[in-house]
Amino acid sequence: MDYRAQLGIRFITRRKGSLIAASLAVAIAILVVQVNSVIFQGLYDAIVRDLINYRFGHVFISRQEDFITKSSFVLVNWLERIPYVEAAAPRIDYSAQINSTVNGQLIKDYAVPVIGVDPVLDRKASTMYQTVGDGQYVSFRNSIVLGAIADRDLGYPKVGDTVKLKFKDQHGNDVLKRFTVVGITKTAGSVGLDNSVIINIDTLREIIDRPQQTQSIIVKLSDPTKDEQVKDFFLSSFPSNADKFKAQTIEEAAELTLSGFRSGIALINLVGYFGMMSSAFAVVTIQMMQVTSKTRDIGVMRALGSKRKDVLLVFIFQGMVIGAIGAGLGTVLGVVYTVYAKETHLTFQGSLALEVKYNWTSIVQTDILAFVLAVIASIYPAYKATKLEPVEAMRVG
Amino acid sequence: MADYVLEVQNVDKVYGQGETAVQALQNISFKVRKGEFMLIVGSSGSGKSTLLNMIGLLDRPTTGNVTIDGIDTSTLNDNQLSTFRNSKLGFIFQFSNLLSDLTVLENVMFPRKIQGTLQSAAEEASTLLKTVGLESQMNKFANKISGGQAQRVAITRALINRPAIVLADEPTGNLDSLSAETTIHLLKSLNRKLNQTFIVVTHDRPQFGDVDKVVTIRDGKIVEGELEASLR
Ligand SMILES: Nc1ncnc2c1ncn2[C@@H]1O[C@H](COP(=O)(O)OP(=O)(O)OP(=O)(O)O)[C@@H](O)[C@H]1O
Ligand SMILES: [Mg+2]
Repeated sequence: MDYRAQLGIRFITRRKGSLIAASLAVAIAILVVQVNSVIFQGLYDAIVRDLINYRFGHVFISRQEDFITKSSFVLVNWLERIPYVEAAAPRIDYSAQINSTVNGQLIKDYAVPVIGVDPVLDRKASTMYQTVGDGQYVSFRNSIVLGAIADRDLGYPKVGDTVKLKFKDQHGNDVLKRFTVVGITKTAGSVGLDNSVIINIDTLREIIDRPQQTQSIIVKLSDPTKDEQVKDFFLSSFPSNADKFKAQTIEEAAELTLSGFRSGIALINLVGYFGMMSSAFAVVTIQMMQVTSKTRDIGVMRALGSKRKDVLLVFIFQGMVIGAIGAGLGTVLGVVYTVYAKETHLTFQGSLALEVKYNWTSIVQTDILAFVLAVIASIYPAYKATKLEPVEAMRVG
Repeated sequence: MADYVLEVQNVDKVYGQGETAVQALQNISFKVRKGEFMLIVGSSGSGKSTLLNMIGLLDRPTTGNVTIDGIDTSTLNDNQLSTFRNSKLGFIFQFSNLLSDLTVLENVMFPRKIQGTLQSAAEEASTLLKTVGLESQMNKFANKISGGQAQRVAITRALINRPAIVLADEPTGNLDSLSAETTIHLLKSLNRKLNQTFIVVTHDRPQFGDVDKVVTIRDGKIVEGELEASLR
């Protein structure tokens, strides 16, 4: 082995205290970055997952500022013939005044988002139906499913109770309709439809006098990576200029929700990188101590014929050992935490379960960064070491 | 005229500047032949170590020249001086000067590792260690052997590159009298056996008995008339 590498390795591995302190500093910085990534990237991915499952699908089709007049039956059939498409379902987002009578007492009118779904197709394209904790999903014409928040605001009507909704149809006339509660949804986090109510889309079409019309179609893909292709294929078959169709991938459809979150993640990552910077300062300090304690050895090396650059290399190698051990330890700790988070479906205070992924690219990138920082942090102490003169070997004491 | 392995000419060394300047050496000149055993003696603070540092190219004279093996070292740059020290000089210091993170054998081979001539280095190193009776300690770390053993290891390390001169600054200063005697005996026998030039600083002139040459320093100057040269 190269003698400079050998000395660098021996210098640091035979000083357990310095080695542990320096590599822990590196490891902890990596752990912080990884835990941040598991939690915040996990939260982001969980939100994307729920937005796909509950609201938008992988591809979201709508029409600019208007209802889709083309038959949803035709569109769904057309979409489901595309190989990557698993299912598609029509929806209408509307709103109504709602009131309910609990124990003979009237709870006052309340504005609530109303979602019209196709009882059969929606079960294939969305997992909304799985969020019904109590009762069942929308089925017959005057059935209604209440979101947990809507249910609370209405004074906790139960399955079997009756609620009355007041709609304005497309001509501006008030339409009153009575529904029977068949289920109550409960989702973790804020992405579900807990503040809404869900009814049969055909009932809604009838009430607002828009027979056959649809507001959006959510498309679930068997291969989510093909979302751009499906979107482009749809738009080329139903040109947006003629039909005024709009097709969006999940990223585009949920842009507003996601962009804020993304900048939050960027900020959190910045905090992680500041952690890395401070670990680099710890490495500088420990390396300076190493150089001081090895003054005589450096003098001896120089007296025996080592050049200044050889001394430099010894301490750079030492930094590489610190970086490698720190990165290894940090990765192990980080991966252990990631596995734990994934296996336990980690959540925080009943919020949505994190969508934990093994992001090896980011892990390797963090490792390389930490390793490089440890080496860079060694440059100044190593340079200081080269400034020591060979006479140091002769110093008394 | 015989070839000189070392020529010191009009060497001055001044530490510091202005009012605090210390003239550690003044107009030092002498010559050493190959194979000579030379002592530098003098009282504490007289400038012995300073002179040895000049000869060992660990520090540069303020003025004057040090010529080793016919090469005027004042013309060499820092890297060339390192290479020169490695191939032409061997060092034995007073205090533990082994690298404590290397084994005894690795310490002895160290000058070879720097040189990059590792072929048969391990065998030569262990042969040398055998001659000083330390073959059983070869794989111990350098901080796990006694002071006297460490000095013997340092001697073998100084010899591994077959240098022109081996320099020693108070090599027995830190040893008990028995280890000191062993060390001196070893140095003198190596001098004879290998025709190896030694320059040794000591404050205990009598310990060394008969030697080829003695330079006495007082207040940074050679004391004339006390220049012993038993072979002249
Ligand atoms: N780096 C230095 N800076 C300033 N002055 C120095 C330095 N090194 C030595 N001196 C001074 O130079 C003079 C000679 O010192 P040197 O160490 O050569 O003496 P010495 O003969 O080896 O003494 P000793 O027997 O105590 O080792 C002393 O006055 C000392 O104080
Ligand atoms: Mg001295």
